[in-house]
Amino acid sequence: MLKSWVTMLGAAGLFAAVSAQAITVDELIAKNAAARGGLAKIEAIKTLKAEGKMRFIGGFGSIDLSFVQYKQAPDSVRTEATVQGLTQVQSWDGKEAWQISPFQGRRDPERMSADDAKSMADDAPIAGSLIGYKERGDQIEYLGTEDVDGTNAYKLKVTFKNGDIEYVYLDPDHYVEIRTVGQRKVRGTLTEDITDYGDYELVDGVYFPFSINTRTRGDGGETVLTVDKAQANAPLDATLFAFPSTPKSGQ
Amino acid sequence: MKNIHRHLAAAIATACLCAASANAADKTDWSRFDSGAISGLNMRNIGSATMSGRIAALDAVDEKDGKTTLYVGAASGGVWKSTDGGTTFKPVFDREPVQSIGAITVDPTNHDTIWVGTGEAWTRNSVSVGDGIYKSTDGGDTWKNVGLPDSERIAKIIVDPKNGNTVYACVPGKLWSDSADRGLYKTTDGGAHWNLILKGGNLSTGCASISMDANNPGVLFAGMWDFRRKGWTFRSGGESPTAKSGSGLFTSSDGGKSWTEISSTANKGFPEKPFGRIAVTVAPSDSKIVYAFVESTDSALFRSDDGGKTWDKRDKSQLMVWRPFYFASLIVDPKNPERLFKPDLNLIQSLDGGKSFANVGGGTHGDSHVVWIDPRDTQHVYVGDDGGLWQSFDGGNKWWKQNNLPVSQFYHVSVDGDDPYHVYGGLQDNACWVGDSAYPGGIGNAQWENMCGGDGFFMFADPADQDYIYAETQGGAIIRVNRHTHQMRDIQPRAGYNEKLRWNWNTPLELSPHEKGTLYMGAQFLFRTRDHGQSWDRISPDLTTNDPQKQKQEESGGVTVDNSAAETNTTIYSISESPKQAGLIWVGTDDGNLQLTRDDGKSWTNVVGNIRDLPKGEWVSWVQAGQFDAGTAFASFDRHTYGDMAPYIYETRDYGKSWTALVTPKDTKGLHGYVHVIKQDIVNPQLLFAGTEFGLWVSIDGGGHWAQFKGGDFPAVAVRDLAIQPRDDSLVLATHGRGIWIVDDITPLRNLNAQVLNEEAGFLPVQAAQQRISAYGGWSEGDASFTGPNPKDGARIAYYQKSRHLFGKLKIDVLDAKGEVIDSIPANVRRGINLVYWSMRVKPPRVPPAAQVAFNSTQGARVPPGTYTVRMTKGDATFDTKVQVNLDRRANYTVADRQAQYDAAQRVSALFGRMTDLVYQLSAVRMQADADSAKLGEKDALRSQLAQLGDKADEIRKKIVATKQGGAITGEERLREHTDTLYGAIMSYDGKPADYQLARIDTLTRELDDVAKQFSDLQKNELAKANAALQSAKHAPIMVPPGAPADKSGGSAEAAKAYFSRFERD
Repeated sequence: MLKSWVTMLGAAGLFAAVSAQAITVDELIAKNAAARGGLAKIEAIKTLKAEGKMRFIGGFGSIDLSFVQYKQAPDSVRTEATVQGLTQVQSWDGKEAWQISPFQGRRDPERMSADDAKSMADDAPIAGSLIGYKERGDQIEYLGTEDVDGTNAYKLKVTFKNGDIEYVYLDPDHYVEIRTVGQRKVRGTLTEDITDYGDYELVDGVYFPFSINTRTRGDGGETVLTVDKAQANAPLDATLFAFPSTPKSGQ
Repeated sequence: MKNIHRHLAAAIATACLCAASANAADKTDWSRFDSGAISGLNMRNIGSATMSGRIAALDAVDEKDGKTTLYVGAASGGVWKSTDGGTTFKPVFDREPVQSIGAITVDPTNHDTIWVGTGEAWTRNSVSVGDGIYKSTDGGDTWKNVGLPDSERIAKIIVDPKNGNTVYACVPGKLWSDSADRGLYKTTDGGAHWNLILKGGNLSTGCASISMDANNPGVLFAGMWDFRRKGWTFRSGGESPTAKSGSGLFTSSDGGKSWTEISSTANKGFPEKPFGRIAVTVAPSDSKIVYAFVESTDSALFRSDDGGKTWDKRDKSQLMVWRPFYFASLIVDPKNPERLFKPDLNLIQSLDGGKSFANVGGGTHGDSHVVWIDPRDTQHVYVGDDGGLWQSFDGGNKWWKQNNLPVSQFYHVSVDGDDPYHVYGGLQDNACWVGDSAYPGGIGNAQWENMCGGDGFFMFADPADQDYIYAETQGGAIIRVNRHTHQMRDIQPRAGYNEKLRWNWNTPLELSPHEKGTLYMGAQFLFRTRDHGQSWDRISPDLTTNDPQKQKQEESGGVTVDNSAAETNTTIYSISESPKQAGLIWVGTDDGNLQLTRDDGKSWTNVVGNIRDLPKGEWVSWVQAGQFDAGTAFASFDRHTYGDMAPYIYETRDYGKSWTALVTPKDTKGLHGYVHVIKQDIVNPQLLFAGTEFGLWVSIDGGGHWAQFKGGDFPAVAVRDLAIQPRDDSLVLATHGRGIWIVDDITPLRNLNAQVLNEEAGFLPVQAAQQRISAYGGWSEGDASFTGPNPKDGARIAYYQKSRHLFGKLKIDVLDAKGEVIDSIPANVRRGINLVYWSMRVKPPRVPPAAQVAFNSTQGARVPPGTYTVRMTKGDATFDTKVQVNLDRRANYTVADRQAQYDAAQRVSALFGRMTDLVYQLSAVRMQADADSAKLGEKDALRSQLAQLGDKADEIRKKIVATKQGGAITGEERLREHTDTLYGAIMSYDGKPADYQLARIDTLTRELDDVAKQFSDLQKNELAKANAALQSAKHAPIMVPPGAPADKSGGSAEAAKAYFSRFERD
C-alpha cells in the first residue's frame, strides 16, 4: 500500500475540476502526476525510504510497532516492523517474496507463496499503480465518480497484469489518491483491502501520503501507518531485497 | 504494509464546537449538511443471521476451479455474493438506492455479467419496492441501472445462453396501482434498449413467470398475472374466484415476436380460466416436457410432454396449491426431467414427473421461494425461504442452515436498561428475539434468543418486572413471557358480545412513559392494562373510520382466498402517550384518522382534518408525542398502499390544531421513500430521525433540512423503527432486511449545528469514556457464521472537519494532567464528523530483546480514571478538548483499586526498564570484550581473559532473558518471561492486585537485584581486571553504558536492528 507514497502532488488545487463525464483515464493520470509534482520529479525517484509508526488494531486491542519501508525501482520493496527489538521483515525483489517472522522465536527467512506475494508485488512500483501502467502491461478504466465518505471522488479501476484489481479514488479537486480498494485472488479466494490516505507531505519536491489506514474486509483488523519521515534516493544496500544468502543476512 | 496488516449525560467539552443560536442557522449554507457531514459517526450491524430473513431470488454458477459462485437476493436486504459456495458472503448491492430484490441471473456466457431485477415479486403486504433492472459486468463490484425504472418489481430474468446481449425481463409491475409498465421485456443490445414484447390485457396484469427452452432459446413460455393489493384487500386473478382475470399462459417460438395463448380450448388438458398466478418451466434436459402450476378454482400442476400442445393434470395436493401468490415457482433437475421442486409453505419435491410430491423441507424454516440445483452434483441443492438460505447435500432431504446472512426483517425495536443493554424486536415470519448489544468476543448468532413464534412485531421488557417480556405476533396476538422459563401467557384483549376486534397485522403497543407496567394496545379501540394483562380497560370508542368497504377481508385473495390478518384494516396503527403529560395520548389509524385525547381517553378529537393538503385515507404510519412539550407531536403518513411512495411528515405545537409540513412530496428536502417512523431526540429538540423505506434521515434543525445517514456503509434498507438508549445515548435501528444497527453515541450529532457546519474544524462532545471490563467470550464457529461487532474499545473522540484533510499533519495527542503527551492517535481525515478512539493506555514497558516477543508487555497499562486533554493539530491550528475517563459502570472496584492496579503495573514496567538497561549493559560488555579479544593473538592471555569476561557477561544476561530460538514452545522462562506473566496477570483485572501478585513484584525485584549484583561483582572483579590488563596493553578499556537509549517510539527498525545485532551472537 505504501506504493501510494509515490502518489505525490506538487500543485494541489491548481487544477480546475472538469466534468466527470468528459475526463479520460489518461487525463486523470496526467493531472494526478502533475499534482504530485510532475512526471519528471516522480520518475527521478529511484529509491524511497520511509519510517514511522504502525498501529495494528484487532479484536485483542492494539499494538504499536515501528516500521521502515524501502523501495527501489523498478519493483522492489522491503518492509520491517519492530517491537521489543524483534523485527518482522517482508520483502519482494521483483521476482520472489520472503519474510522473517521472529516474534515467536524464528529468525531464519522463509519464502512466501506467489499468491501471498501479490500484494507486495502490486505495491512495489515506486511510481504507484497509475504512473507507467501501460509500460507494465496493466490496464485502467475510468468508472465515473463515487462517494468516498462525503467526497465525490474519481474512480479508476486498475487491472494488473497478474489479474489483481485495484480501485483508485482520486480527490476531485486535488487529484491525489484518497482511497484504494485492492482485490486479489489468494489461493483462489478473493481478498479485499481498503486503504485511506491523508497527511500528504513533500519529499524532495514530491508529495507522499503520511497517513495510511488499511482494513481488510471481513476480518475486522485495521492497520494505521503514520510516516514520520521519508527520504528519496537514499543509497540502499543491493542485497536488501533478495532472499538472504545466509541464514541471518536478511535481518 | 498491507501485507503486514493482513497477517451528553456526562459529555465533556472545553474547546468544543458549541451550540449556535437559531439566527446563525439562518445565514448558513445548508449544503454542507449532507450524508458526508454526518455519516462519519459510524454505525454497527449486530445482525442477527440466526433468524436471517426472506430470500427472494437466487442464482449460482459452477466455476472451472471447482467452486460455486452464488448470488442471493434478499427480499429487502440487497444482493449477497459468495465465491465459495456459501461459506462466506459479501453484500454487493449496498451502494444502490433500493434493496428489494426480485430476480438475479448470471449470464451463462460470461459469469462476470450479472443481472438483478429489483422489487420483490412475492407480493405479501410488507413487500418493498424496486426501481428497475441492474447490470454488473465485473462480478458485482459495480452496478448500472439499465432500465425499466417504473417496473417496481421484477420476477425473473433470462439471458439467452447463446447470446448474452439478449435478455428477457419478466415484470409483474406495480403492486399497489395501475401501470402500463409491466409485462415481458426484451433487450437485444445488452440492456441499452428494452421492448415490451408481451403485454397484459389490462393495467394490472404483468409477467410473473417465464421459462426458456434451454435447447432452443427462441421458445418461450410466459405466465401473465393479474394482481392487485390494497391496504385492506388483495387479489391474485380477478376480484373473486370466478371473476374475469387478465392472467394467462402464453408461448412463443420466435423469441417473443409472436405469442400464442395456451388455453383449455386449443390445448387439450389445460384448465379453464379464470386464472390467478401461473408458474411455468421447461425441463432443461428435455424440451418437450413443460410443467405449469396454474392457480384457478381447481388449482393444480400440469405437465405437457409435447412442448405445450397438450397437457396432463398432475399433483394438486395442499402444498401444491397453497397461497399461489406467495409460492409460484417450479425448478426441474437439470439432468432429470422427472425430478422437480416447488418451493411452498414447505419445500416439496417430485421424483415421478409431478404425479406426486413429498414435503422435503425438513429442518428448513419453510415458506420457501427459490431453489437452485447444482448441475455438477444434482444432489446438492440450495433453497431460499422466509428464514434464509439452506443447503442440502442429499438431494433435498436434510439441510444445513446458512448462519451468515444477516438479512433479518425487523418491524420494531426496543431496548432495556441492562448494561450492556439488550435489544428486543419482532421480525417478519421470524418471531421475537432478544439480543445483546455487546458481548465479549462479539455478538454472534448465539447471543440472540427467541421468545415467541410466528411473525414478530413490538416487543418490550416489562419495566415493572424484569423477569418478563411483552412480545407481539401478527394480528394483535400478545404474550407475556418469562425470560428465564419461557413460559408464556396469552394476554390479548377479547371481543365483546357480537363484536369483532380489528387488529392490524402490525398492531401497535405503547409503554406508558409515566406508569411502569402500563401498556396500551390498539384494535379499533384503544386498550390499556395496568396489571400485566390480567385486565384491560377500553379507553376509547372506535377511533377509525369503520368503513365497511375496507372490512371485507374474508373475500380477499382473488382466485384463492387469503385472509391471514395481513389485510385487516380500519385499525389503530400508532400510539404515543406524551412524556410531558400523563393521559395525553395520540392515536393514528391505518385509514387516515389522527386522534388525540388529553383526558386519559374520556374524550377524543380527530385532528387530521387540520393538516392542509394531506390526501385522505392515508396510513398514519407513526405519531410521536413531543419529548419537550405536551402540545407538540410529529406524525408521518404513508400512502404507498395507494401507489404513492412519497414521504409525508408534519409537526404540531398546539395539540393538533395546526400543523407544519416538515416533509411533503412537493418539498421532500431530500427524503426518499414512504416514512415508517419519525422520532424526536430525547435531549435535543431540534434533532429528528426519520426512517423510510429507503434508509435513515436526520434533521438537526427541527425538520428544516435533512441528510441521509450512511454510517458504517449503511445501505438503503427500510428503517421501520428506532429506539434511543438514554443512558448510553445510543440510537438503535430496526431495519426490515438488514437486522439491527447501532450508533453507539449520538452526542456529537446532538451538538452538530449551523455554526459547527461552517467551522473549519473542531471537537464535538461525546459521552464520558468508561474503561470497560476486559473479558473473553464466544468461540470459533468457522467462517460461515455472522458475528456482529461490539462497540469500539477505547475513549471516543469526535471532531468535525469542513473538508477532507489532505495536506500536512493532522495530529491528535493525548496529554495527562502534567501536560505530558502520553499517546498519539492516528487521525481520520474524512469530511464531516470523524471518530477516533484512544486506548486509554500509557505506552508499553521497555522490554529487553529476547528469543520471543513478551506479548503481555506489548500493551501499556490503562491510565488511572480522570480528566485528560486531547489536542488536535491541524496545520497551524490547535484544538483542545477534555476526555473524562471513568471506571466501567459495572465495576465492583473503586478508583483507588484501579490506581493500585496502575501503580503495580507501573512498578512492573519499571522492573522491565531496569532489565532492559541491564541487558544493554551486559551486552555492551560482551560485545566490546569479543571485539577486543578478536584483535589479539591466539595465544595472548588477555584474549582468553576477555573471552571469559564476555562469556560471564552473557551468562548473566541469560538469567534475565530467554534466548533459545527456533520457534518452538521452549518453556524457557527467565526473569523477563516471569515478569511478563506477572504483568499480564496484573493487567487482566482492573481492580486491586492480589497480595501474592504484589509480593511477586518484590520477589522478582529481589531476583533482578541478585543478577544486578552479579553484574556489579563482574564489573568490580573480572571487568576491572580486564580493563587493567587492557590498559596495560595500551588498549581502550571496556566501557559500561549508563543504560539503554531512551526509545519512546520503539525506535526505527534500523535502530532496532543495530541494537539487536550488537548484542547477539547465538
